Amino acid sequence: MISIRDLSYRFPGRTVEALREINLEIAPGEFVVVSGPSGCGKSTLALALTGALFRQYDGEARGTVHVDGLDTRACPLYDVADVVGLVQQNPESQFCTLTVQDEVAFGLENRRMPPAEMAPRIAWALQIVGAAHLVDRPLAALSGGEKQKVAIAAVMAAKPKVLVFDEPTSNLDPSATAEIFDTIAHIRAKAAITVIVIEHKLHHLLRFGPRLVRMAAGRIVADGAAQAADGASPWAGRPAAPRPVPGGPPLVQVEGLHVGHNGRPVLRDLSVQIHSGEFVAVMGDNGTGKSTFLLALLGLLKPAQGRVAVAGQDTRRTPASRLARQTAFVFQNPDHQLFADSVWGEAAFAPRNLGLLDAGTTQWLRDALARGGLAGREEEHPHRLSYGEKRRLNMVSVLGIRPRLLLLDEILIGQDPANAALLMDMVAAEVQQGGAAVMVTHDPDVVRAYASRVLFFAGGAIAIDAPPADAFPALAAAGRRPYLPVDWPAEEAPR
Amino acid sequence: MKPRLTYQPGTSFLHTMHPLVKLAWLLFLTVAAFAVPSPWLVLGIAGLTLALFPLCGLRLGGLRGLRLLAGTALLLALLQVLFQRQGAELFRLGPLAPTTGGLSAGAYVGGRFLAVVLCSYLFVLTTDPADLAYALMRAGLPYRFGFALVTALRLVTVFEQEGQTVYRAQLARGVQYDVRSPRRLLTLARQFLLPLLISALGKVDGLAVSMEGRCFGKYPTRTFMKEAPFTRFDGLAAGLLLLAAAATVTYLVVV
Repeated sequence: MISIRDLSYRFPGRTVEALREINLEIAPGEFVVVSGPSGCGKSTLALALTGALFRQYDGEARGTVHVDGLDTRACPLYDVADVVGLVQQNPESQFCTLTVQDEVAFGLENRRMPPAEMAPRIAWALQIVGAAHLVDRPLAALSGGEKQKVAIAAVMAAKPKVLVFDEPTSNLDPSATAEIFDTIAHIRAKAAITVIVIEHKLHHLLRFGPRLVRMAAGRIVADGAAQAADGASPWAGRPAAPRPVPGGPPLVQVEGLHVGHNGRPVLRDLSVQIHSGEFVAVMGDNGTGKSTFLLALLGLLKPAQGRVAVAGQDTRRTPASRLARQTAFVFQNPDHQLFADSVWGEAAFAPRNLGLLDAGTTQWLRDALARGGLAGREEEHPHRLSYGEKRRLNMVSVLGIRPRLLLLDEILIGQDPANAALLMDMVAAEVQQGGAAVMVTHDPDVVRAYASRVLFFAGGAIAIDAPPADAFPALAAAGRRPYLPVDWPAEEAPR
Repeated sequence: MKPRLTYQPGTSFLHTMHPLVKLAWLLFLTVAAFAVPSPWLVLGIAGLTLALFPLCGLRLGGLRGLRLLAGTALLLALLQVLFQRQGAELFRLGPLAPTTGGLSAGAYVGGRFLAVVLCSYLFVLTTDPADLAYALMRAGLPYRFGFALVTALRLVTVFEQEGQTVYRAQLARGVQYDVRSPRRLLTLARQFLLPLLISALGKVDGLAVSMEGRCFGKYPTRTFMKEAPFTRFDGLAAGLLLLAAAATVTYLVVV
């Protein structure tokens, strides 16, 4: 079905090849997982399969790519599109219309399918991804998991022979992630189709008995049947980070907090205290108020009722710019928080704004850049960095103010295990030195390795507040299997 | 919080009217407000439009920008009343001497402004922009232009949310929105827009792959799944529009 011979590709303006002498043969109906660290060329390979790589970027290519006999380097993109469907990471980036029905119909309308034939095809595509009930909904009203299902249905509607998923669950919570992998399983069962999944979360995919292709630095470095060990958590076997004993007066006091976001109530009557030395993991389904909670702690959302105080400062009466002197916030998307023209300018951005850029801070920032693997790159533009490097720069930049409270909103999205470990070690070091961290995360293995406390949100309230050793059994008892560590045995769930 | 000046879903007769018939009415009323020489007719158009708001389930008090609209209309009218010298003098107050001509011109200019803006408000609030785009494409607008509109509509909300995130990320790192000089304003604008621009470029790439990967642009024309039925009511509204247009032209010729 797929034959790639000696494929190399270099993006315009880059000196290093994104793909290097790739050779890959995939038979019809095969299930292939492509894995590897960030920037290793996985997504570039996906674009090569669809032909988009050779049409949208004016790069330098060598070698051949054939899918179902079509040469994707030479064929019009539309002809390849009849054979290969690509589901991208973020459904928001691939929607072309405003409603579910229009989105699934989009590709069919472009192929000039008569309207009478479209209705049953749309119904079939939505049914195969378990989203038939969403047909009349606007896309903006869907959850993240529902959006990704609709994105899959929109591609499936054309009945491609090859379906490529590029990290389809990177923006989803564990429940939605499990649903998407169930959907892929269902598609495999119902449609004779070749499936290629680019994914870090290998444990979810082992049940398919996939062929595993590992990439590194643009090359295929391993290719064979996936083994049980491939699904092990990258955090397994790491010594647990030391947990300092929390002490002193509460650093964060939240009392009877009600707060809304975008005009709707989100958190209801929430009370919690956090002390210095605590590493708090905030978990829960998307939309349950986790990010809203973080925004409220920095005073970026004001309480409708109740009170939030950080280091004794009431967020209702203290401007965010003053709260920012001791509370740092790292947002989900690295690109949304790079403002300066150079790596050094970015690192020093917050200390300079807050009048804290003295000789000591300057030296601290230089050391932190070195620890983050960014030494010698101070004059580069931040947007020239890789995704992982940008995230490390975000972290250095907020830590430069020496915050007492660190707020982290899903900072591990799109990060490979090595980079994630580097980031987590930076956070753990801050907690060791007397700070406190509150981190929204969907990775239970990270929580087990680093956190001293879990706050599990459900319906705008804290459903579980316990150390990980107690929180995971409670989650198991509540039937929240996707929120348990990879190696959590089902029988450990208390009855 | 007052709702934004965007489509408000509803089931009124204007909500269900064919978007192109509604668009034709909007164009007619806008042209008529400028063409008819009588201030009373212009005020009549504005008044009639105003009366349609409650009939469409729209609360005037809930509209954003209503005060600005009323204030601007009043200011435009007042300027004419104070400085237009034609006609008989009504009274004198120091250097100010309002005239009948000024009063008429004030009603005309203020009424014209109100009529055009209120008609546009009503159109925007009762028309799903996606329905309008699809109707225009079915009526012959090249679909590449139509989808430029649909994509823009979708991305507006995405960029609105991203702009909010960038703003918050800046506040969290001590940025103070104090505009002390044009240079400071430029720096703030650049720091705010750069992340949005980078994000937009990434989205354009993703969207292009998604659209072409689903054969957008393969043929010069395309089919459409959804029907846009032209109902008997739409026919009636179109007929009334023709009558109104004919009556207006006749009036203009006779007067």
